[in-house]
Amino acid sequence: MNRQELNNKLAQIKDKLIAIEQKTDNRIFLLCEAQNAYDVNKFLFEDVGIRFVIATGIDDKDCFEVLYHYSYDRTGCVITIKAFIRDRQQPKIQSVAPFLPAAEWIEREIHDLFGIDFPGHPDMRRLILADDWPEGVYPLRKNLSRDKPAVRKVEPSREVKE
Amino acid sequence: MNWKIWALKKSPWVFHVNTGACNNCDIEIVNCLTPKFDVERLGIKLVGSPRHADALLVTGVVTRQALPRLREVYLQTPKPCVVFVIGACACGTGIFRNGYHVEGPVDKVIKEVDPQAIIAYVPGCPPKPEAIISGVVQALSIL
Repeated sequence: MNRQELNNKLAQIKDKLIAIEQKTDNRIFLLCEAQNAYDVNKFLFEDVGIRFVIATGIDDKDCFEVLYHYSYDRTGCVITIKAFIRDRQQPKIQSVAPFLPAAEWIEREIHDLFGIDFPGHPDMRRLILADDWPEGVYPLRKNLSRDKPAVRKVEPSREVKE
Repeated sequence: MNWKIWALKKSPWVFHVNTGACNNCDIEIVNCLTPKFDVERLGIKLVGSPRHADALLVTGVVTRQALPRLREVYLQTPKPCVVFVIGACACGTGIFRNGYHVEGPVDKVIKEVDPQAIIAYVPGCPPKPEAIISGVVQALSIL
C-alpha cells in the first residue's frame, strides 16, 4: 500500500471526518467528532489493516480530545484520529476495546485521569490511580484545584522502639 | 560504642524499597551487587524481608499508594536502622514536585513515623554505584 492507495482508502470515510491534515510526509491527522470515532477506528483497524499504537487524552479547556495513534509500519507513516468531545459535563466516547483489545487499558487510564466515559468497554475498573483516591476527582483536568485530596490516615501498627 | 550500632555497622543487610521510582536507581542498586562492584564482599547483602534488614534503600518519590506501605516497612525494620534515601526524587521529589500523586520526599514520611530516624542521602539521577557505596561507607563511619 503506497501513499496513493492510502489516500484512496481514506477518501472512503471522508463524510465521517471534519478534515484530513497532513502535517508532514508520514504524519496524518484525521479530525472527527466523538460520535464518529468508533466507525473511523474500525475502518482504520479492520479495512485499512494498520497497527494500533496507543491512545492519548487531552483537556483542551473547551472540549476534550482523544487521539488514537495508528502506525503503518511498512512506510513508517503515523496516522492519528483526533476525536473531539464537546460535552464537558458528561464527556463520553464509544469504546473501541470490543474489536481492539489493545485499547482496553489505555481507555481505563484515560477514564481515570480525565473522567471520560467509554460506553461499551468490557471492564472499566480503576487502573492507575491510588486505591483511596476519591471518586469524581480527575487529576489531569485543567480545572482541578491545586489542593490534593487528603491522604487516608494510617495508624502505625506498633510503636517505634529500640 | 553502643553494641547495637557496632553490630549494625559490622555487616549491614539491606532491604530495597521502591516507593515510585522510575527503576533507574534500582538498576544502579542491583549494579552494586554485580561482580564489578560486588558489595557482598563487604558484608552488604540484599535481603528479602525488612525484618532481616539493618538498612533500607529507598528509591523514588513517595506516591499516595506507596505511603502506607513505606510506613509499614519502616516500622517492621528492627531498630536501630539506617534509611538510605537514594536518588534525586527520593531526596527532594525532583521533577515530580507538586504532582497530584506525590506525598513528599522520603525523609518527611519517615520522620512523621519516627523523628529520631537515621537518614542518609545519596543524590543523583541516578547516583552511580560508586556514589551509593560511598554514601553507605560515609554514613556508617559517622555512626
